[in-house]
Amino acid sequence: MAQGEKQRSVLRINLDILNAVRDEGEAKPTHILYRANLSHERLVKYLDDLTAKGLIEMKQEGENRTYSLTPKGVSFLIEMRHAESFVQGFGLAI
Amino acid sequence: MKPERQKLASGAFIIFCLNIMNALVALLTSYYAYKANRFVSSSVLWAISIGFMLLGIGLVIDAGTSLISGRTLVDITGRTAGESFSDRVLTLLASLTYLTLQMVAYLVIAIGYARSTYGRPPSAAAAAPAAVVGATLLSLYSFSILSYFVTVILLAFVVFQGLLLRSGHAGKLSGMVLLAFALIFAAHCVLLVSVLVLGSGLFLIGAAVQFLGFLSLLIFVVRSEVVGPG
Repeated sequence: MAQGEKQRSVLRINLDILNAVRDEGEAKPTHILYRANLSHERLVKYLDDLTAKGLIEMKQEGENRTYSLTPKGVSFLIEMRHAESFVQGFGLAI
Repeated sequence: MKPERQKLASGAFIIFCLNIMNALVALLTSYYAYKANRFVSSSVLWAISIGFMLLGIGLVIDAGTSLISGRTLVDITGRTAGESFSDRVLTLLASLTYLTLQMVAYLVIAIGYARSTYGRPPSAAAAAPAAVVGATLLSLYSFSILSYFVTVILLAFVVFQGLLLRSGHAGKLSGMVLLAFALIFAAHCVLLVSVLVLGSGLFLIGAAVQFLGFLSLLIFVVRSEVVGPG
């Protein structure tokens, strides 16, 4: 993995999803899918995981399904922002 | 107080102040590395957390020794006159503990960086504990020289690994960490020479350069809490 494009870690993918949800406010799965660059099958798995951890919540209105950050998700993103900054200082990546 | 003794005490007080501040920065860095490691399970972060914790403890011990004995490590290594046996044993033990903790701390950090780059520690880093055990059998003077020499080698390795890692993931604050390690490396080169020639003035210069390294680390830690990732 040292050469070429590196595979994203699970944490990185979760962060990409959470950032997408935060930026959209109430994000549709298609928008998250586009932003996080995932297949539909993998996106569903990650969204289920994040919902189970209480970081995002799903709202269903008829056919429409949207996701938004929970207060726990907001504080997780803030903590992660600091951790990522610290980690990058030591030349590492999440 | 005699002028020579007053000079020794003032030098020791400067070392005390610098080491206490360095220790606070080291322990703060250890805490933030521990905090970051809860999210990002990384061997480098684990090593940084443990390494800086050991370094912080060692610096507190050395600061305490300087304050209580009124002498710096170089003075303790070079002069023995006018001191009771129990005081001599205590200062020797404290200095040996500090030097060992410092060496082990940088060894842990170097192994962490090595594992991140190569997947396992290189044989040179793995051989360092054997040198530590062997060195404890020597006098404080020999031990100090060997300890600083091993520390300089380990820090050179850490700076080199830091350069390699930085070329891969260059965050906007990574230069400050590299600068910090480079200054601490330069400081230990000066400290090694000061111990070799038993130069108190040179020892103070080395301690001051080391403080600048820790200052750079402090600025990084504070900014990483304020500024986001680059």
